[in-house]
Amino acid sequence: MNSSYCFVGAQAFVDGSLQAPADFWVENGKWVPGPVANAEMIEANGAWIIPGLFALGVDFQEPIRDDVYTLKDGLEAMRRGGFAEALYESAANPVDDIQKLKAMQDACGKSGLAFHFLGALSVGHQGKALAEMLELASGGVVGFGDGDHFPSGLRFLRLAMEYASMTKMRCFFQPSEKSLVGKGCVHEGHFSDMLGMQGIPAQAETIAVHQILELAGWLQVPVHLKQISCAESLNLIRHARARGVDVSCDVSVNHLLFDDSGLFELDTNTRLLPPLRTLTDREALWQGLSDGTVQAISCAHHPVLPQDKDTNFEDAVPGAVSLEIAFAALLPEALLRMKSGRNALIRLFVEGPAQILGVPVRSLALGHDEPFFVFSPGEERLVKMSDFAGQVHNSPMLGKTLRGRVLGTMFDGSWRTNLWK
Amino acid sequence: MSFLETKHLLGLRGVSRNDLRTILDTAKQFREILDRPVKKVPSLRGITVVNLFFENSTRTRISFELAEKRLSADSVNFTSSSSSLTKGESLLDTMKNIEAMKIDLVVVRHKGTGVPAFLARHSGAIIINAGDGANEHPNQGLLDIFTMEQKYGSMEGRVVTIVGDVRHSRVARSNIWGLHTLGAKVRLCGPATLMPRNRNFFEAAGVEFISDIHQALDGADAVIALRLQKERQEDSLLPTLREYRNFFGVTSEALQHAKPEVLIMHPGPINRGVEIDSSVADGPNSVILDQVTNGVAVRMAVMYLLSGGRADE
Repeated sequence: MNSSYCFVGAQAFVDGSLQAPADFWVENGKWVPGPVANAEMIEANGAWIIPGLFALGVDFQEPIRDDVYTLKDGLEAMRRGGFAEALYESAANPVDDIQKLKAMQDACGKSGLAFHFLGALSVGHQGKALAEMLELASGGVVGFGDGDHFPSGLRFLRLAMEYASMTKMRCFFQPSEKSLVGKGCVHEGHFSDMLGMQGIPAQAETIAVHQILELAGWLQVPVHLKQISCAESLNLIRHARARGVDVSCDVSVNHLLFDDSGLFELDTNTRLLPPLRTLTDREALWQGLSDGTVQAISCAHHPVLPQDKDTNFEDAVPGAVSLEIAFAALLPEALLRMKSGRNALIRLFVEGPAQILGVPVRSLALGHDEPFFVFSPGEERLVKMSDFAGQVHNSPMLGKTLRGRVLGTMFDGSWRTNLWK
Repeated sequence: MSFLETKHLLGLRGVSRNDLRTILDTAKQFREILDRPVKKVPSLRGITVVNLFFENSTRTRISFELAEKRLSADSVNFTSSSSSLTKGESLLDTMKNIEAMKIDLVVVRHKGTGVPAFLARHSGAIIINAGDGANEHPNQGLLDIFTMEQKYGSMEGRVVTIVGDVRHSRVARSNIWGLHTLGAKVRLCGPATLMPRNRNFFEAAGVEFISDIHQALDGADAVIALRLQKERQEDSLLPTLREYRNFFGVTSEALQHAKPEVLIMHPGPINRGVEIDSSVADGPNSVILDQVTNGVAVRMAVMYLLSGGRADE
C-alpha cells in the first residue's frame, strides 16, 4: 500500500494563512520536502490543505441512542467534515467519575482521532452534588461542565466554580435560565408572536450570562460560554473581559447560518436550543467572530432520530447535526463577512478551540505528521440525506446549496477518499 | 485582677505576645503539677466558675471542669437544654441572673460568633471563650501552641500547616492568630469551598494558601488536621469523603513531603480514614493525646492568670 503522496498545486495552511499553490509531499503521514520516489500524484489544484479541525460541542448521544447513532457514526461524521480532534461532552452519560472517564477515553482512544473530555461539575449533571473534579482532573479532563444543564441555584453554581478553581481549568456553561425557557421552542419575538408559538426570550440567555460572569469575576474562575446566540450576551462578555474576567465563548454553526426569519418554513431541523435568534443577533455573532469577542465555532453536533423530527415544530426534539458540512457551509458567509475570511474561518476551527482548552494548536510543519484534510472550495452541490453519517440527517442545511467539500483526509497517517456516498 | 494585659480571653486575635508568653510559661508550671501524685493546688480557692455550654461539648467541658477542680475553684455547669433559655429567656437575662449569683469567672461556648464578647460587655465577670461559632477557640489554639513548643521550644520561624475545613473552623482561626503573633509561618490547605474566600486579613498575617497538600506539607514542622464535618458533603461543599481523603487527607504518603520529625496534631474528635489515617494519628509523630493532657494545664493557666493569681505563689 502506497504511503507517499504528492498533492499537486495545493495551498497549505501554514502559519495562520493559506500559502501560494505548491506541490505538497507526504511520506508516511509526514510533510516532507519532496520529491518522493513512487509517490502517488493527486491533482489538488485550487484545493486547500488544512490541519485537522477541532470540533467543539460534540455529543454522539451514546449509549442511550446506539440504535440510531453510534460512536462509529460520529467518527465518520468527523472525518467527512475534516475534524481530527474534538471536545466530547456526553449528556447521556456524564463524565462524573473516573471510571466513566476511563471508559470514554478507552472507547475514543482507538479511533485514530484526538478526543478531549469535559468532566462533570455535578453528579449526573443534576446540579445537586459536586462531582469528583480533582480526581477527574488528575485523570485527564480538560475542563468542567454540566452539558446543557444550567444549575438552577446560584449557590450551587458558586460552589461548583469555587471547587473547580483548584484545578485552574475552565468551566463550561450553556447559559440558559430555565424559568424563562419554560416550554418555549423558538426565539420570543415578532415571528413567535405571528406564529403563536411559545418563545424563549433573549433574556433567558443574557440573565444567565450575567450571573456566570459575575461569579467568574468574583471567584476568579476561567469560564467558557457555549453557543452564545444573542447580541446582548456578546456585549456582556466584552464588558466582563474589559474588567478582567477570563471568559471565552463560542457560537454554533447553525446560529451563524440561520435566524428566526426562516421560521415560517416550520422546518423542525431549525428547532434548536438555544433557539435561532433574530437577524440582528446573527449579524452580531459574525461581528463577534470578526472582532475577537468569540474565539471559536461550535458544531453543536446533536443527532436526533428522524421520527423525533418528523412531527409538529413544538414537539420536535431540538438539535442538529453539523460536523459533516460545518466548514463548507460557513465558508461563503465567512468570505463575505470577515476580513481574510477563509483564513479566519480556518483559525476559528483550528486554533480557537485549542486555545480555549489550553491544549496544543495543530499546525502543519515540515517533518511533522499532523493530521490534515484536503478541501476543494469550488464545488457547489445540494446537501442530501446521505451526506450525513448514521441514520440521522437533522440539519437545517438539508436541501440547501453547499460550496466546497472535503476531498480526503490524512488522519493517523493514512490517506482516505470517497468520504461521500 | 488579671495578671494579663487582657481582662478576658475572647480570642487570640489581638492578644499581645507578652500575654501569650505569660500564659504558655505559666502553663508549663501547671503541666508539671499534673504529673504530681497530688494534682490539686489551692490557687482558685474561693473563686466561683460557671461553665456555660450552649453547644454540645464533651472534651472541652471536661477539660475545663478538671482544670477548675485542680485549681480548687467552685464550679457549676450550665447547659442550654436545662436552662431558662429553652423557656424563652434572653441571653442577656440569663447572664444577669447568673451574675446575681456572684459568679467570678464564666467559661462560655456558643454557636454564635461574638457571644463571649457580648457577655464581656454586659457582665462584670471574667469571660473565657470556649468556642464561639467559627470565630475562635482560643484555649485550643493555646494548647496546640503549647504542645508544639514542648517539642520546638520557640515557634519563631516554624512552619505550621493547617489542613481541612478552615472556613468553618474556630480552631484554625485561633491557631492562625496565635502562631502569627509568636512568629510562626502558617499555611492553610483544603478544598477551595472550605477555605476563607476573602484572604486579605490572613495574608497580612503572612498566611499562605496552598491547595496542593504535598506543597503545603513541604518542610512543615507541624500539621494540624481539622475535623471534617460530614455534613459538608450534604451541603454540596465537597464531592465525596473519598476525594477529600485522596487529596486532603493527612496520610503517610502525604507526610513524605514534611520534615521527618513533623508533629501530627488534631483537635479531636477524629474521623479516621477521612481527614487523617489511623497509621498517622497513632504513629510515632502524633501528639494528639498530648494535646488533650496539655489542654488541662493551659486552661488552668488561663483561669489562674485572668483571676489574678500567679503559679509560683
